[in-house]
Amino acid sequence: MTGILGALADAWAEIRVHRLRVLLSLIGIAVSVAALTAVFAFSEYQRQYQTEQSDRSGGRAATLVVSEMNIDGSPVDVDAFDERVTAASERFAFSHTARVVQGLAVPVALSDGIVDVYARLYDPVYPQIHREQLLDGRWFTDSDVEALAPPAIITEALWDRIGRVPLAQHPTLALAGPAGGTYQVVGVTPRQTYMDESLGVDLLFDAYRSRVDALPEGAQVQFEVWVPQGMVEEIAPVLAMDLRAGLPEGQTITVNRSDWAAQPGNLNAMATFEMVVGGIAAVILALGALSLINIQLVAMRQRVREIGVRRAFGATSGRVFVSVLLESLVATTVAGMIGIAIVIAILRSDWVVTSMFSGIQDVPPFPMRAAVIGLIASVAVGAVAGFIPALVALRVKVIDAIRF
Amino acid sequence: MRHRDELVSLVRLDDVTKSVTLADDSTLEILRGISLEVSSGDHVSIVGRSGSGKSTLLNILGMLDAPTTGTVAFEGAEVGRMRSGRLDRLRGNNVGFVFQQFNLLPGRTALDNVMMPLGHAKGRLFWNRRQIAADMLERVGLGHRVEQIADRLSGGEQQRVAIARALVRRPVLILADEPTGALDIDTGASVMGLLDEVATETDAALVTITHDLHVAARARRHYRLDAGRLETADLSRAFEASTLAASVPSSLSAATTGAEEASS
Repeated sequence: MTGILGALADAWAEIRVHRLRVLLSLIGIAVSVAALTAVFAFSEYQRQYQTEQSDRSGGRAATLVVSEMNIDGSPVDVDAFDERVTAASERFAFSHTARVVQGLAVPVALSDGIVDVYARLYDPVYPQIHREQLLDGRWFTDSDVEALAPPAIITEALWDRIGRVPLAQHPTLALAGPAGGTYQVVGVTPRQTYMDESLGVDLLFDAYRSRVDALPEGAQVQFEVWVPQGMVEEIAPVLAMDLRAGLPEGQTITVNRSDWAAQPGNLNAMATFEMVVGGIAAVILALGALSLINIQLVAMRQRVREIGVRRAFGATSGRVFVSVLLESLVATTVAGMIGIAIVIAILRSDWVVTSMFSGIQDVPPFPMRAAVIGLIASVAVGAVAGFIPALVALRVKVIDAIRF
Repeated sequence: MRHRDELVSLVRLDDVTKSVTLADDSTLEILRGISLEVSSGDHVSIVGRSGSGKSTLLNILGMLDAPTTGTVAFEGAEVGRMRSGRLDRLRGNNVGFVFQQFNLLPGRTALDNVMMPLGHAKGRLFWNRRQIAADMLERVGLGHRVEQIADRLSGGEQQRVAIARALVRRPVLILADEPTGALDIDTGASVMGLLDEVATETDAALVTITHDLHVAARARRHYRLDAGRLETADLSRAFEASTLAASVPSSLSAATTGAEEASS
């Protein structure tokens, strides 16, 4: 007990006395530990960012897409399909089910005439499944279905075209065509990627459906169901079987996963990124360790006498070994913690993360995994860098060292 | 406490020789057939020319070096058979060293230096090491220099720090190798006075190696090491021939000085 405490005290005193030497050798360690920690933190943020991006297109994990088609290619009876899936959804007690129609074009009256605008129809729960985000206003609610002036959510590009009227002033959108009428703009989706530059409008599925006799030809209705990720493997086949039961001849229903987690390629790419950048950081760390060993070995030549004196006053060789080892260990651990602290301080400021990953919604807390890896790396480097000088110290012969 | 009239054998050298093999495979005999017994409370001086093997002898006495043949026993236990860890602890507990070049830890304060041996101790000595070291520095008259960096002190002060360090664990054997070698005569005399005093106080045995007869004269038993052989020395003749009697402290008035002749 006193032996270890004593060795620790010796090591700390040694570090304090040779502040400059220690400081110089540790800058490299601190920087490389910081790099290593940052890599893993970035990879965590990157994962979150990618997840969010792919959630926008494919839905959160796990999203099942249910679609129907006729084998001969003729249009599907949308209402029958709707009925069938809605019934099944109730039986399965799904919490999040949304109907989606993409790829519609609706004519909108703008200042320069009627313009075809890309439209999506969906149920209020859709943005939740896709983690979509708003620039301003609100999403649809269930009560919007009854509104006399049905609500619309427009893209920022379209908002610009209608003069960016503040939503508090209740801007409206005049639609022509079968579902024509005045729609109240209740929300605006932001430009996040280059895909968001097009004019677009989101409408409530039911509000639109009640205004037209039939959906335009070519428009395909899909159901999206958000189910727990752990249960998706069980649910999907049962749901498919349930829906296919009693289907008229010539029709088929497919149930697919559309979320990112169903595609292992993404995770592999992530792991590759981590390995490459982590490998570079590890090389930097190894270089830092080499320079630390170098400095410690040179310092050891000057310290031979000191070690001899300590041995003369009762320090066992084990004690000398541990003291020298701990010097590096304590020093690199402190340096590593400083490096980690700097990375945390930088990444804790929201500005850095949000500007590096523009459009990220849920900034994850600083990943503990990154900090732990950084700390383990700095301790390991200290142990390795301290071991060789400690072996040298072990071989110091007291009489040679003192030279009366 | 041990009393002077019932001397207990501390270190005992029996027929010790030490030889080293040189680069050209020839053997150099440094010590030949040395037998010496040092008891607690003893004050022994060993004089000899440079290269006569004084330091090697002191190393063997201090259990830093092992003899080529012969045996070394500390408090009756034979040292040659001990494992190195036990030997280190035995040395730490019982032996204090004072070196010619002080050998203080550079960059550390006087207090850190004196605390160092206590850092290898156990129990109360370890936990109270700061206080014990401060008291010891007070005792050698450096109470006002505790926080000074050791290598910035004057030579005499450095050697006093070294003495405090050698004595802080209350060793039973103090080995001093040319303790005044780097000091001027007056400073050397006062440092030796202190060393004698503290050694007597703690009833420790003091073995001094020197080529300075003033220093040697302070001991009760005198030896001369010549070409690796240890002989009892009669220093009185040397002192008679000296012309520096006046600088010798009064305690040595019986012996007149003769440093010139002996140290040449």
